[in-house]
Amino acid sequence: MIFVTNFLTRRGTALLATWRIWRDTLLFAARAILTAATPAAYNSATRTVVMKQIYFTVVQILPGFTLFAALLSYVLIQIVVTTAASYGLSEYALEVSMRLLVLELLPLITALFVALRSSSAINTEIALMKINGELLALENAGVDTMRLEFMPRVIGGMISVLALTAFTSVIALVLAYLAVYGWQTWSLPDFSRIMGNVFQNTVLLGIFLKSLAFGLAVTVIPVAEGMATPRMLFMAPISVLRGMVRLFFLIMLIEVASLAFKYI
Amino acid sequence: MADVASHREFLAKNDLIAEQDNALVSPDMPLRANLSVIDNIALIPQYRSNLKYSMAADQAWALLVETGFQDMYAKRDPALSYSERFVAKLLRGVISKPAILMVDRPGMLLPEVHYPPFLFSILERMAAYLNDCWIIDYQWNRALYGAQISYPELDYPELPQTQP
Repeated sequence: MIFVTNFLTRRGTALLATWRIWRDTLLFAARAILTAATPAAYNSATRTVVMKQIYFTVVQILPGFTLFAALLSYVLIQIVVTTAASYGLSEYALEVSMRLLVLELLPLITALFVALRSSSAINTEIALMKINGELLALENAGVDTMRLEFMPRVIGGMISVLALTAFTSVIALVLAYLAVYGWQTWSLPDFSRIMGNVFQNTVLLGIFLKSLAFGLAVTVIPVAEGMATPRMLFMAPISVLRGMVRLFFLIMLIEVASLAFKYI
Repeated sequence: MADVASHREFLAKNDLIAEQDNALVSPDMPLRANLSVIDNIALIPQYRSNLKYSMAADQAWALLVETGFQDMYAKRDPALSYSERFVAKLLRGVISKPAILMVDRPGMLLPEVHYPPFLFSILERMAAYLNDCWIIDYQWNRALYGAQISYPELDYPELPQTQP
């Protein structure tokens, strides 16, 4: 009986801890969005941090990520076009490849790439700032850390994911045209008509909202996890590990929810 | 403190002071590790007064020049010596011209120098920016400061004498 009680107590404590961290994350997200929606929250210093965040998350990775996305897009488009041709379904190849790439894969890959590159860095940075007392020192110097450190990262992350998704999607569109029609321009009206059928207003709104949710996730979770780190140095790697696992889980959840909303 | 009432009075007075626009230089208040010294100092006016970065950095540079520590402007916290780190923290506090600048346990911030002369020389150079400066130190370090500062009239309890 004691064994059962102890087991349930342990599981209950773990469950409550998990519940608390998700609750704190949601509260933080709400505070960050509210702060971001307040014009008075922006000043010279916050704008500098937003610009730095966009530079580190978008500009620095743009050449490498563009090359990777272009290569992946081209290979997948070729696979879809070849397979469709072998089944005599060539007229659907363009539409299917665009649905696969622009609506599903590219936003997801962008979010995962930003998560691996920037979210882990943000989580580590915030955790170390918390452990070293840098956040406390800033608050003591009259600086609101939500306005200076957290909110700009959330905005920068969201803009970065949106921008990278849009950029890679445009590249995928160009590559799809080239793969299907070749190096000529007289098929542009046909291409535009098919794309018009695929990217209706509701679909575009869906991509925008999904990318926004990805952008929010890749910044809110690492910041919230970093802030929740106890002030002990050995907790820094544990904080990053937890943050990345939760982030992966949430990104997949957003993707599954988006798929379910569209296709079920 | 002599009794509980004077203790509470002392704490209430200090709470009131803490609510005002004061600055604290303390071993517990580190610099931002991933910012250079000049950015750490410039961040305060840039954020609090909404100054452009270039103007805030000019102010920070002027302070660095005045203290003679301008060579460290591009260094980050881990690369600083104790004296440099202390000056950077002090200038971060001084740049907002606080009502009171509190220097907490300077001996812990400056273990490599005979700190009272060093501290006073820096504070003298910063005199134009300072309204009032409090140095918070252990009672047994009182002799190090000599007559250069005024002491608050606090009624310290007598320590019990231990028999060998």
